[in-house]
Amino acid sequence: MTAAPSRSPYVHRPSLSPQDAAEWPARRVLVTNLRTIWGRAYPRVIGMMREPSWLFFEILLPFLTTSAFVFVYRALAAPPEYVGFVVLGGAMTAFWLNVMWLMAAQLYWEKDEGNLELYFAAPISMMSVLLGMAIGGLLMSCFRAAVVLLVGAVLYGVVFAVDQWFLLLAVFFLTLTALYGLGMVLATLFLLWGREAWHMTQLLQEPVYFVSGLNFPVARLGVLGAAAISVIPLAVGLDAMRQLAFVGSPETEGALPPEVEALILIAMAVFFIALARFLLGVIERMARQEGKLTMRGS
Amino acid sequence: MSALPEVARWSTASDPHRTRRQELAQAWLAFRTAAKLGFQIEANWADPLPFLIYAVIKPVFGALMLVFMLEIISGGAADQSFRAFIVIGSALWSFVVGGIAGFALSVLEDRERYRMLKYLYVSPNAILTVLLGRGFWRLGIGGFGAAVTLILGVVALGVPFDVARIDWLLLALGMALGLLSIIALGMLLAAVAMQTRQDSWQYPEAVAGAIFLVVGAVFPLAVLPGVVQVVGLITPLTWWLEMVRRALFPDITSAIGGPGSLYTELTGRAAPGSAEGIIVLLGTTALVTLASLWVFRWSELRAKEKGLFDLITGS
Repeated sequence: MTAAPSRSPYVHRPSLSPQDAAEWPARRVLVTNLRTIWGRAYPRVIGMMREPSWLFFEILLPFLTTSAFVFVYRALAAPPEYVGFVVLGGAMTAFWLNVMWLMAAQLYWEKDEGNLELYFAAPISMMSVLLGMAIGGLLMSCFRAAVVLLVGAVLYGVVFAVDQWFLLLAVFFLTLTALYGLGMVLATLFLLWGREAWHMTQLLQEPVYFVSGLNFPVARLGVLGAAAISVIPLAVGLDAMRQLAFVGSPETEGALPPEVEALILIAMAVFFIALARFLLGVIERMARQEGKLTMRGS
Repeated sequence: MSALPEVARWSTASDPHRTRRQELAQAWLAFRTAAKLGFQIEANWADPLPFLIYAVIKPVFGALMLVFMLEIISGGAADQSFRAFIVIGSALWSFVVGGIAGFALSVLEDRERYRMLKYLYVSPNAILTVLLGRGFWRLGIGGFGAAVTLILGVVALGVPFDVARIDWLLLALGMALGLLSIIALGMLLAAVAMQTRQDSWQYPEAVAGAIFLVVGAVFPLAVLPGVVQVVGLITPLTWWLEMVRRALFPDITSAIGGPGSLYTELTGRAAPGSAEGIIVLLGTTALVTLASLWVFRWSELRAKEKGLFDLITGS
């Protein structure tokens, strides 16, 4: 008597992606992606708790860097608003650095650590993974920005004059949304450019600080400032926030009215997130079809 | 036939009876190899032109930012001497950023990315020599950025410069001691990187940024509170910047002395002399170097005991 051949529990079915293969109802897809966001944010949040050295290196020391620019203005006997511009710029750099180091360069590093292929093989959206990274890093950035703003305001006597709180908060959140959308776009590009990810992150830092008018009104840069406003969310956001946080100051020379800049930020957020979605789809396809994108050391 | 195992006979590095000369030759070989590897890691990701642009873009834009701040406040009528002060300080800072980052990032890269630190550590070479070699080119790239920024400052930003007036001896002494203190600070940070997790990539830049505040790189110390001025005066980089500035531009504003400065208050002089500057630079550099060697040894032992050389973290 011959034993009946054992039946595999797995059924071969051609599918486009792990998400397609999973055949999950919409609710389960949503729950899985929410769990992905939390799962990716978790190591960042827990990592912060386990290694308190970041409090010194990523909060106190960057505050001292910001202070250096405050003292440059003091040495030049600049009007007090400029000290406020530096403090505001110093707070916003926390988000730019988070986007560049903990998001844009991250997919490349995930590849180096061997996690990227697991992401591509899992039935989850890559945007959830990137959003998890963003949320995990955002906690640290928010804390750093708050410290720079509060301590800077107290220590250097910065007086904020805000008339439109709602617009200021809206501009801040729109800036973050557009910035993180840009971070997702850069994450895919840096992954495709391979080893250049690290260098591109370094390369963009100072020029972006300069053309975004980190320490002075961007309008003073003329055409260069206008070009920055049309491309870099940090430039638009800072210009709008500067106008909204120092109302009535003759030194606050905006490139455009803050309401218009808020609209530009909405357009940027939509554009960058849509572009990121498209590019993430492209790299997912490349990873599956060519099988080279997740190879370490390439 | 020698009683040493095959691998030990292949290299004198693990020979316990090697002479001092063989030891030095082995250290030089390790340094050279690590430096060559460091150069390839730093430079072979791009063609020469993009790489050169990459090397200079950071210091150039850093200087531009400061010059632009100066021009805005002065309404385009900035004092030439102060502009030179800012450009030179900003250019020289490129050495510090490159030098400090080079050693610490080598630890992180070799441990987290290439996963080679444990093998380097068990190789018969001092880890300190290997790290010096690995970080050497970042310091070199920083130097290149500094040179280009200075040239741009002279050519495009109107910084007054006369080759005939350079004090070459002061420049050589100041640069030698200054570079030594930068390497010592880099080692200190490498020791910190051995103990921390992967996300300490930004630590070197944060440390360089914090030191930037206290050394009078782009503004005179006199604008700082007294306590912070004391910190600046015991930091070798303050004296290095002062001596190099003076060697290149004899008439430049002093970062250390001047009205309202602690130095002038204590000594009654407007600015330190060249000999005095070099002696203080020598003393502070010696202190920082000894301290960094001690901290590095402590960190190395702790890393060995706790298994941190093959620690791979992620977040």
